[in-house]
Amino acid sequence: MQLPPSDMRPKLSFRARLQTDKVTGKPIVLYPEGVLMLNPTGHAIVSLCTGEATFDQIVANLAARYKISAQEISPQVAEYLNRLRERNLLETRAGNEGWK
Amino acid sequence: MNRAVPRPFSLLAEITHRCPLHCPYCSNPLQLVPSRGELATEDWKRVLAEAAELGVLHVGFSGGEPLQRPDLVQLVAAARESGLYSNLITSSLGLTRQRLEELKGAGLDSIQISFQSDEETLADRIAGTTAHAKKLQTAQLVREFDFPLTINTVLHRGNIHRLEQIISLAESLGAERLELANTQYYGWAFKNRAALLPSREQVDRAVEIASAAKKRLLGRMEVLFVVPDYYSDRPKPCMHGWGQKHLTVNPTGEVLPCPTAHEIPNLRFDNVREKSLGWIWRESEAFNRFRGTEWMPDPCRSCEFREVDFGGCRCQAALITGDATVTDPACQFSPQREKLTRFVEASQEGRNAFSSEDEEILFRQNAGS
Repeated sequence: MQLPPSDMRPKLSFRARLQTDKVTGKPIVLYPEGVLMLNPTGHAIVSLCTGEATFDQIVANLAARYKISAQEISPQVAEYLNRLRERNLLETRAGNEGWK
Repeated sequence: MNRAVPRPFSLLAEITHRCPLHCPYCSNPLQLVPSRGELATEDWKRVLAEAAELGVLHVGFSGGEPLQRPDLVQLVAAARESGLYSNLITSSLGLTRQRLEELKGAGLDSIQISFQSDEETLADRIAGTTAHAKKLQTAQLVREFDFPLTINTVLHRGNIHRLEQIISLAESLGAERLELANTQYYGWAFKNRAALLPSREQVDRAVEIASAAKKRLLGRMEVLFVVPDYYSDRPKPCMHGWGQKHLTVNPTGEVLPCPTAHEIPNLRFDNVREKSLGWIWRESEAFNRFRGTEWMPDPCRSCEFREVDFGGCRCQAALITGDATVTDPACQFSPQREKLTRFVEASQEGRNAFSSEDEEILFRQNAGS
């Protein structure tokens, strides 16, 4: 899997809703017939998928937050985004077609 | 009670049995609830709030046709207020522009429309009424309002040969999710199973088509293909275990561990008019009857798959063997497997009941007032 284009602006799909689980108090993403229980890193990534920040900006933000190099963290972010994409949870209309 | 009771994740709210369609595989019971027996708006609002407190995340408004309830918008608003992710499971008949506007305003999250086939003549014959053309229009309207769209097609001998075209239809409608659900043989479908069960060859072909589509559409349209368990070696992990993740509330307020649990003779269901949803989930006889693995007989009890498929489906065991407590006959290890395979073998040569007018099919009736 390649890294996404650096200027891609990932956005959580209109099918998905990020909210707090009443039972556990933890963040979850709800979508048709499914739910993702987010760990803190997942939550950080999903929260940045607003369609505003580019992939590079998201990586830079997380690298600063977790005190780890952008180079090291970018494949992990890409992998997480790809998992979202495979579940059809990334907005396809926002021009991420360039990502193979 | 030392059994751990988990949290439920999903609620199927069958708010009415009234429906304009007459599909002969309807999952509603043969004994339909008349409209005068339906729960009131306030009862449903309480059920939704209690469900969310219990941990439920998803509510499916279903029926029958949920649009037949004039208070649907109020119920959707109540679900949204409780933080539930709501899905409207509909034929789409009655889904006007105004209704869509109201549902959007109330916070409805997604819409699932049933299609009986991809082409009008066959689709309307299966539905037992004129519906297909209207559904096409409404599906487009749903996109206009920016609702996530799921298309659901129940597959059977009468339409499984159209699978490729059905997938194309879902694509052309811009659906994000396509459920290709082989008929589950309960209720009306069980009555009609000789006419509905596809041949092994048809099923094998359908599996190939669906797998290819799944791959091709990855990330664009989620394709779900539910394998018919009559053709499987292993039973389906029904409801992911009895009383583990799911509850159904039927139009009259009875709470069921699965939508077809009424197939099980002598199982009593508590009603939300008398008991809280939480009590019913945790304490009721119906939810504890097959919860966990303690109830299992052999071969399930000692089977390595007992936590994988949970003994299969209780309703199917009841329907085919007459005993809800035995291994699902869809399982290759079931001592009564033959009861199912004999039926499957006998139906290989069956004709397509929807291809002519002189069919021997029982269409679903109206629910009455």
